[in-house]
Amino acid sequence: MTARQIVIVGAGPAGMSAAVTLAETGLRATVIDDNPRPGGQIYRQSAWPTDEPAKPDNAARSTTLSDRGTLLRERFERAAGKLEVLAGASVWGLFPPRTVAVSHGEGWELIEAGQLVLACGAYEFVSPFPGWTLPGVLTPGGAQTLVKSQRVRPGKRVFLAGTGPFLLVVAHTLLAAGVEVAGVAETARRRDVARRLPGLLANPRLLAQGSRYLRELRRAGVPIHWGHVVTSAHGADRVDEVTFAPCDGAGRPDGRRQRREAVDTLCVGYGFVPRIELHRLAGCEIAYDELQGGWRPALEHSLETSVEGIWTAGDCGGVAGAVAAELSGEVAGLGVARRLDALDEAGYQRRMANLKPQLARVRRFAQALNRAYLPPRRITDLAQPETVVCRCEEVTRGEIEAAVEHGGNSGRTIKVMTRLGMGPCQGRMCWPAASRMIADKTGRRPEEVEPLSVRPPTMPVCLGDLMQPRQEPQLSLSPSPLPCSSN
Amino acid sequence: MQSLPDFTDFARLPGSRGAALSFTFDGQNVPAYDGETVAAALWATGRRGLRTTPRRDEPRGAFCLIGVCFDCLVRVDGRANVRACQQPVRDGMRVESQRGENDGAGGGP
Repeated sequence: MTARQIVIVGAGPAGMSAAVTLAETGLRATVIDDNPRPGGQIYRQSAWPTDEPAKPDNAARSTTLSDRGTLLRERFERAAGKLEVLAGASVWGLFPPRTVAVSHGEGWELIEAGQLVLACGAYEFVSPFPGWTLPGVLTPGGAQTLVKSQRVRPGKRVFLAGTGPFLLVVAHTLLAAGVEVAGVAETARRRDVARRLPGLLANPRLLAQGSRYLRELRRAGVPIHWGHVVTSAHGADRVDEVTFAPCDGAGRPDGRRQRREAVDTLCVGYGFVPRIELHRLAGCEIAYDELQGGWRPALEHSLETSVEGIWTAGDCGGVAGAVAAELSGEVAGLGVARRLDALDEAGYQRRMANLKPQLARVRRFAQALNRAYLPPRRITDLAQPETVVCRCEEVTRGEIEAAVEHGGNSGRTIKVMTRLGMGPCQGRMCWPAASRMIADKTGRRPEEVEPLSVRPPTMPVCLGDLMQPRQEPQLSLSPSPLPCSSN
Repeated sequence: MQSLPDFTDFARLPGSRGAALSFTFDGQNVPAYDGETVAAALWATGRRGLRTTPRRDEPRGAFCLIGVCFDCLVRVDGRANVRACQQPVRDGMRVESQRGENDGAGGGP
């Protein structure tokens, strides 16, 4: 086991921002990230970064999110000498109070953190429907990754469905990559979004960016079907057609007005869910907030969790987007610096006074967006009795409901009765939908259903690897020649 | 050796990439470039299904592409249950689809 003063899990906007903030106060943080390059999902870089477009030279010109990401990555690179970066490494366990288990290329190790910042991000919520397991059906984030990181077009003719502004972002990315976008089925109605305009005006810049995407999609002739839902994907070995229909506010389709569209790819996503496995292993208190993606850690204003010395930044603390993630990374970084006396109280208060209103503003924007694009209340009813809900263990909706009829009413009981959530994804993919189904079947709200328990390893680890722990930490990557360098 | 049909002309966006290399998928040659993941390289050749499931024998492919869903599991050089979306390609790598397997039996021929 090795010890580090500060460990940050995640090198997306939140983790990078926390690391840079700490470096500026003279503290050296160890940053662990699953990906080979920093940036996280939102600022994911091309696998061949050297020929990325020219970068803006100052913050004033940084009008778009991707410019913002470039600037943050550059600050992170400049701070690299004051950081320890463990890239391509997965954290698969947390042992109280603050010891993390990390796997990397050749082995694994335990790192005891003095202060721990969890910046693990979020993943997409996909509500099950017939055909959603067919190859060629993927998350919007997956399509974005293929284009942005691997420069591979996901398909020739792509349909997008679900809810949220990210669908438009991805549709725009696909269009720019020369993919034919056959349509976007958005469950929200246009008036649902218009009603949230006062809150959305909290961030006119992002609002303008969204409107620009919408205009460009319209100009390119991409049909945006507001108030529509994809009810099934068809195909033998891969998707070749989708059915969609108008839906009511609860997401229930009007079966008489179904339409079909021939496509080779379908992207589906209903927003994002905070990634809180490590918080749960640490015993952090959690709270449910549907406007922030569901279960999230309970947080102080300083972004410290209920466990002393464990802090949270970014979407894993509640889904609020990249700008909020960056600001919250700074808040958490300052909190850690203050705790370790690298920053005096006056300096801390001064910077927090500056940050708090900015963070409040972007959160107000995010809440308005999340309210406009909530997953419809009956969206899980798209799953038929024979539709697989737990993709890993192939547990169907019918089996879940049968288990409920036999007395199952919690994550624990349903897991034991059906194997739901026992596979390698550990319920990350199915639980947001399964908990809604169990809630509906038992006349409760999703937050009243006791969630699946979390145990290490949260990611599959090979037993053979576990038997060969490395004595010396493989932190030789640092101060790393970061593969994101902009030379 | 038979090769998978190559849709590279359409699937790969223009721009410089890493060095050209090749690996095999179920014995067939797959062209790829250094820096690509197994999932992306197979996707670019038009391949979508990567395995079949143990219980219902249904085809599955890459779904989240960020390493969270574990649907894109393949066998790499004999090692089972490797996430194709997180695994970088290497020249000469042997990738195989998992047919109805769900245990980490590993080994391989």
